[in-house]
Amino acid sequence: MSKKQTAEAMHSENRIGGDPVFGYRALPGIADEMLDTHGNVRPVWQHFLASIGRMDETELSNRFARADRYLRDAGVFYRAYGTKENSERSWPLSHVPVLIDDVEWQAVSKGLIQRAELLERMAADIYGPNRLVAEGFLPPSLVAGNPEFLRPMVGVLPADGHFLHFCSFEIGRGPDGNWWVLSDRTEAPSGAGFALENRVATTRAFSDLYAETHVRRLAGFFGAFRDELQSRKKHPDDRIAVLTPGVANETYFEHAYIARYLGFMLLEGEDLTVVDGRVMVRTVAGLKPVGVLWRRLDAAFADPLELNQSSHIGTPGIVEALRSGSVSIVNSLGSGILETRAFLAFMPTICRHLLGEDPVLPSIATWWCGQQPERDQVAGNIEKMVIGPAYSTRPFFDDNGRSVLGSSLRDTAKVSVAEWLQTDGPKLVGQEVVTLSTTPAWINGKLTPRPMSLRVYVARTRDGWQVMPGGFARIGSGADAAAIAMQAGGSAADVWIVSQKPVEHTTLLPAEESFIRIMPGSLPSRAADNLFWLGRYIERAEGALRILRAWHGRFAETANTEMPLLKDITDYLAVLDIDTKQPVPDSLMANLNSALFSASNIRDRFSADGWLALNDLAKTARKFQSTVQAGDDATHAMTVLLRKLAGFAGLVHENMYRFTGWRFLSIGRYLERGLHMTRLLGHMSGEDAPDGAYDMLLEIGDSVMTHRRRYNVNTAALTVTDLLALDPLNPRSILYQLNEIKTEVEQLPNAFSNGQMSPFYREAMKLHAGLAVMTPEAMSAEVYANLERELGRFSDILAQTYLG
Amino acid sequence: MLYDINLRITYTYEAPVSGGRHVVRVLPLSLPDRQRLVAGTVTCTPAPEERRDSVDFFANPSTSILFRKQHEKLVIRMQARVQLEQQALAADFSPDLTRFPTEIANVWSLDANSPHHFLGASPRLPEDAAISAYARDIAKPGMTIRQIATALCAEIHKDFAYDPKATTVDTTPREAFKLKRGVCQDFTHVMITALRSLGIPAGYVSGFLRTIPPPGKERLEGADAMHAWVRVWCGTTTGWLELDPTNNIFAGLDHIVVGHGRDYSDVAPVIGVLKSYGSHKTEQAVDVIPLQ
Repeated sequence: MSKKQTAEAMHSENRIGGDPVFGYRALPGIADEMLDTHGNVRPVWQHFLASIGRMDETELSNRFARADRYLRDAGVFYRAYGTKENSERSWPLSHVPVLIDDVEWQAVSKGLIQRAELLERMAADIYGPNRLVAEGFLPPSLVAGNPEFLRPMVGVLPADGHFLHFCSFEIGRGPDGNWWVLSDRTEAPSGAGFALENRVATTRAFSDLYAETHVRRLAGFFGAFRDELQSRKKHPDDRIAVLTPGVANETYFEHAYIARYLGFMLLEGEDLTVVDGRVMVRTVAGLKPVGVLWRRLDAAFADPLELNQSSHIGTPGIVEALRSGSVSIVNSLGSGILETRAFLAFMPTICRHLLGEDPVLPSIATWWCGQQPERDQVAGNIEKMVIGPAYSTRPFFDDNGRSVLGSSLRDTAKVSVAEWLQTDGPKLVGQEVVTLSTTPAWINGKLTPRPMSLRVYVARTRDGWQVMPGGFARIGSGADAAAIAMQAGGSAADVWIVSQKPVEHTTLLPAEESFIRIMPGSLPSRAADNLFWLGRYIERAEGALRILRAWHGRFAETANTEMPLLKDITDYLAVLDIDTKQPVPDSLMANLNSALFSASNIRDRFSADGWLALNDLAKTARKFQSTVQAGDDATHAMTVLLRKLAGFAGLVHENMYRFTGWRFLSIGRYLERGLHMTRLLGHMSGEDAPDGAYDMLLEIGDSVMTHRRRYNVNTAALTVTDLLALDPLNPRSILYQLNEIKTEVEQLPNAFSNGQMSPFYREAMKLHAGLAVMTPEAMSAEVYANLERELGRFSDILAQTYLG
Repeated sequence: MLYDINLRITYTYEAPVSGGRHVVRVLPLSLPDRQRLVAGTVTCTPAPEERRDSVDFFANPSTSILFRKQHEKLVIRMQARVQLEQQALAADFSPDLTRFPTEIANVWSLDANSPHHFLGASPRLPEDAAISAYARDIAKPGMTIRQIATALCAEIHKDFAYDPKATTVDTTPREAFKLKRGVCQDFTHVMITALRSLGIPAGYVSGFLRTIPPPGKERLEGADAMHAWVRVWCGTTTGWLELDPTNNIFAGLDHIVVGHGRDYSDVAPVIGVLKSYGSHKTEQAVDVIPLQ
């Protein structure tokens, strides 16, 4: 920091007392991140504060809007539990970052690394020789009665010898200015991806300040961890995957984000199977080995055979695979036990015993009430305590109200608290209530102190444990620390670790000399299934939209639903469960929702733009559902929806890499479009077709102009059939779809084996050839019905061959 | 007492299953001074593509089997010869409830027989207020742990009707307690829940029970069944005692132990995950043949 800047900041601070930035005051008796105990701005904040002090309200809100827009466009969300409607919430960013001096951070890092090592040793003991219990350092009941203690994992040594690879910690600053560990997260720590997104969003708001300040970068941390996981593979052919509980999980977005960011597969338990003690992923090219699993799934759910028997999201046999040492899992199954709140009471002693040193960072003072002296201690100081469940794995301010403040028990007689501790003691812990530090948040147009805690990350790398230089700060929605939890309205801020010296700039792009072109890995069958169905649903929606638009166009002219053509189409649509009485039918909505669901299952393969376009389409359709009237209004609405749908299709077409996933999506679309046209022609092109049917067919098939140009006659059965069924150059004709399907199938894995066509490829050839030799005269209702059956069968064979 | 034991479990699937993975726990244990497995085998038809025999956390022999090919029927067969020793019931040295928590806390061990595993809730046995109240009524101040356990065993035997139609393998202890009906698994689950509510470590024992034919009648083949009973930790001096609430007796020469666990889920004879599109039917046939 230059002298000039410092002077400027000091000068500004004394400038105006009621200024929205400089009127900031710390709360009495509480530490503050920006102000020291004398009320002076900490040096690390001075430049930042002076800079935003120069910005007027419009500029600041423009900057904040840039950050919010980034998060919106990137589709960053988390899922709130317990609410049915709109359960996807946009990420609540607190725009002002928390700035911490790198020198101070080094000291914190030292403590976190020591703690990660301690937890590793504890895990090795609990799932190994159990000396901590035998020698009296850890009460046996806290292990045996712990739901996180997974007995089948006892005696299973991890493939690479380590139980922990990726941990996170919740830390807070106490009134004396020192940092405390509030809780340990070792099971499947979440949020590292959100830390990245926070960073990107915040730098959108303060790109200039970020460039001027020596903020340490995050990419190096992720790169080192990625390299570590790569090095854990035993065979070069092994895959690395992020194992997610699925799209319904609170932080699924982050799983997909991390997988995409690091270039790992995103898999669910169902994608995996265990063969000869090896974990394999089902792909469209057969079973492929998985060497490393970064687990975001709670351990108990990983294996319904040996762990939680009611789990539907696990992989039977995975525990067996771990025993055989063929797969590394991050973190080991059962490591969640280290998060137990009551363990905090024993960790200082265990630290001295196992590591021979005092803890560098203290944990929040904790007493397990399973022992009399501790019970007395808690009961005697009840005013300063918070009482909570001993086995809880969450910090007290974020455990859904299961912890109670001792001071709230004031009205209860002291005896009854003592009695409560006596009866339920082993299930309870008392913790000293800590007052968390505050940090500035921009609230109602001014900087306001809000309580905060930091979520920080530690990863095992080739050079030992490494601490992410940053993380994210959880900011309370009110002055009360209990409101930090995001589910309770809290928000998150980026954390800038500011160095005196310029920082190293790393990106996760490889250096040029190490450039190799890697083809994308095998496509998991489930992802292929979702892509195939996404294609089908989208095309099904388009088919319905086109027919409905034509229907409403004619209805607008006649207002007579009994007109033969309209009646005929109404009956046709009724079979497809589409009700023309509803301007935007429920079944159309259902199709769009199914498309959205399929897409949400494969977020890691999707550009944010495609996702937003699809969401926008569904949202618009939902809005139309309650506003649009039959006739002209509906015609217009269908046109809008078709345009949005084309927008989505265009994004996919222009931007998606032409590999296996793309082929399944395309086959889905071609197949559905072929089915749509086959059904429609079968229904409408017979001799008893109502008046106007041919014109309508051409309109639905988007071929009015082409017909006029090519045939130079009025619409008639043969020309329409020729154009819509048999013309190989019309992108709406049936033959065109079959040709495209054939081309795509030829490129799929295992289309040929030993120079022979696979049975599936042969089916695709047969379908195409069968129609290619037809003449318009021969296209009878029976031929169409037959073709419809064949297409259905083709879909089944595809599923059996690739999606099972 | 020497027995030959034959067990056959048959699964008949409505629709062919395309594969499956199972863990089988049916082989009797060897327990010092209690019973000795002289010889025993577990076989399957069809033969599994993969098989691994091991010992689980609670020291039960378990067999993992994997099928990849389609099959419509699965037969698991166990044959064993087991030698049982008479258990002498010593005088009651178990403590009462006031001294008991300290005695438990002083067991600084997590091995398979440590009482600590058998105190809290387990997958099938959550805490239950009604059963706790029932237990509190029976446990009178001053009674020893063994007295409490035998009293509970007798009360459950008296209050519950044996009724195979009333419950299924998935019935919770809460439901069984409400019905006051069920089979050995239900009686055992209720008694374990009751004991744990008092702070007494209690576990689930799966095994075989020899049935004695009525006087003058031949032993009926296949009439025996798999059985379940309770084991209770009665303090450091006494250790574990086995009580059978279905028959209101201490387990003895008729009770052949197959598995120890916290509840049924730890010792279920077959746990399986398979891909199928239909239901299945299970049949179980057991012969316990005394050889002397």
